[in-house]
Amino acid sequence: MILVNNLKFQYPKNESLTLKGISFEIKQGELFGFLGPSGAGKSTAQKVLYKTLSNYSGEVKIDGKDLNDWDLAYFEKIGVGFELPNHYQKLTGLENLDLFGSFYPIGKQRDRTDLFEMVGLQDAISKPVETYSKGMKMRLNFIRAIQHDPDILFFDEPTAGLDPVNAQMIRNHISDLQERGKTIFITTHSMHTADELCDRVAFIVEGELRITDSPETLKSQYGKEAVRVELKDGQSQEFSISDLGNNPEFIGFLKKGAVSRIHTMEATLDEVFINVTGKTLT
Amino acid sequence: MNKIFKLAVTDFKLIFRDPSLYSFIFLPILLYGLMIWFLPGLVDRYDVLVPYLPLFLVLGVIENTQMFCFINSMVLIEEKETGVSILYGITPITENQFLLSRFIFPYLITVLFNVGLIALQPFYEIGLSTNIMISALAAMVVPVYVLGINSVVDNRMQGMIYIKAFNMIVLLPFAAFFVPENVVHLFGLLPTHWIFQSIVNVTEGTSYAFFAIITVFYFGGLMIWLSRLFVKKHFI
Repeated sequence: MILVNNLKFQYPKNESLTLKGISFEIKQGELFGFLGPSGAGKSTAQKVLYKTLSNYSGEVKIDGKDLNDWDLAYFEKIGVGFELPNHYQKLTGLENLDLFGSFYPIGKQRDRTDLFEMVGLQDAISKPVETYSKGMKMRLNFIRAIQHDPDILFFDEPTAGLDPVNAQMIRNHISDLQERGKTIFITTHSMHTADELCDRVAFIVEGELRITDSPETLKSQYGKEAVRVELKDGQSQEFSISDLGNNPEFIGFLKKGAVSRIHTMEATLDEVFINVTGKTLT
Repeated sequence: MNKIFKLAVTDFKLIFRDPSLYSFIFLPILLYGLMIWFLPGLVDRYDVLVPYLPLFLVLGVIENTQMFCFINSMVLIEEKETGVSILYGITPITENQFLLSRFIFPYLITVLFNVGLIALQPFYEIGLSTNIMISALAAMVVPVYVLGINSVVDNRMQGMIYIKAFNMIVLLPFAAFFVPENVVHLFGLLPTHWIFQSIVNVTEGTSYAFFAIITVFYFGGLMIWLSRLFVKKHFI
């Protein structure tokens, strides 16, 4: 569905390339994530894909058609959730949605009241956006992006500025969108978001993609296939996960005392990122 | 058409919900008061003002345009400042539809206010067709001014500074009325000069066609150039 080949982009006032020839593919119905620290080029890549930035080099194809050959119909096909809330402050939440919804064909639009209820904003539907908290504005960003039922969704840091409960709610809605067959491209520096949501993630650092794979594969590839058992008396020991149930040493250790914790030894996505890129995600 | 209308209506909602903007709606009423009631009394009392009546009319007409110059500039600056403008770059609306929706009603309302002002002022009898033509020419200041401001500024603070500078540029060709005849059209570098000269010719009963044609081409060219600059900046 989305094919990017050797994409390079340089901002006019920058001395170096922001995107240094990245290549990736996102299949229909896939939830793909760009993970990287601030300034890595995540948002720039998305901006190229939703046609805010032009003058790039390389190949970008959407549904087999070059991005430059798409006309306004492309914007009916995509939805964008921005990193920062961007709404008319003097208009109500509903007026903001109505305005931008009016640019799309009526048949494709979702019921706006349902959308407000979906993200818990039903009581604020008729209030000016200037009275909303940042979290409320971010939820409004989210429903504005999906109100015309687009096939492809771009979310830039979709859980930024949200409290844990609302962040989880947005993650659940993103999962639901994927279940409905939407192709979703998110950028995030939240490993939790990437780990929970993405079918595949790509690590991007300084405009280059370092690795692309599923979170499970990466975590297992860069971790140990083992468990660590901790007893309440402070003793601990690692055991290989293969044929664990028939490992007499493991069973013997469990019988030695009360078990405090058992951990798998797979790496976290943070650890994989540091291991692969040598950078942290801050 | 629906897209254009919806966006135009939204602009008026934004204006009427912002006290700092809707207070400017009263500017034409003030100008009407000055031109229709205050100035005639002043001229009766001070004969020395009579030769300057064309300039008062020029001032009234050009100040009428300043209402939407300011209001529209601020609406678009705020749109840029809050990041809303980027949304128009990713929605199915063409650049021309966007520009038309933002300027068609401010332009037409400015024309209407000027037609009223010219018709009601007591100093000159100006026919309706000439009145409409002069009003239409003067109202071209609105899109050019707003596009110009919004092609260079990023926020309200910068906007206020540039609005001051643009106001000076708009009014500077007044000086042409106080310089020797052979250097008058040096002020023609500034586009409003040609509007001013058109209005003065109308008050003198001489042909204004030449100045009007220059105005149309000058403002038309500026509008095309500034639209391109604006679109490049506003949607990113």
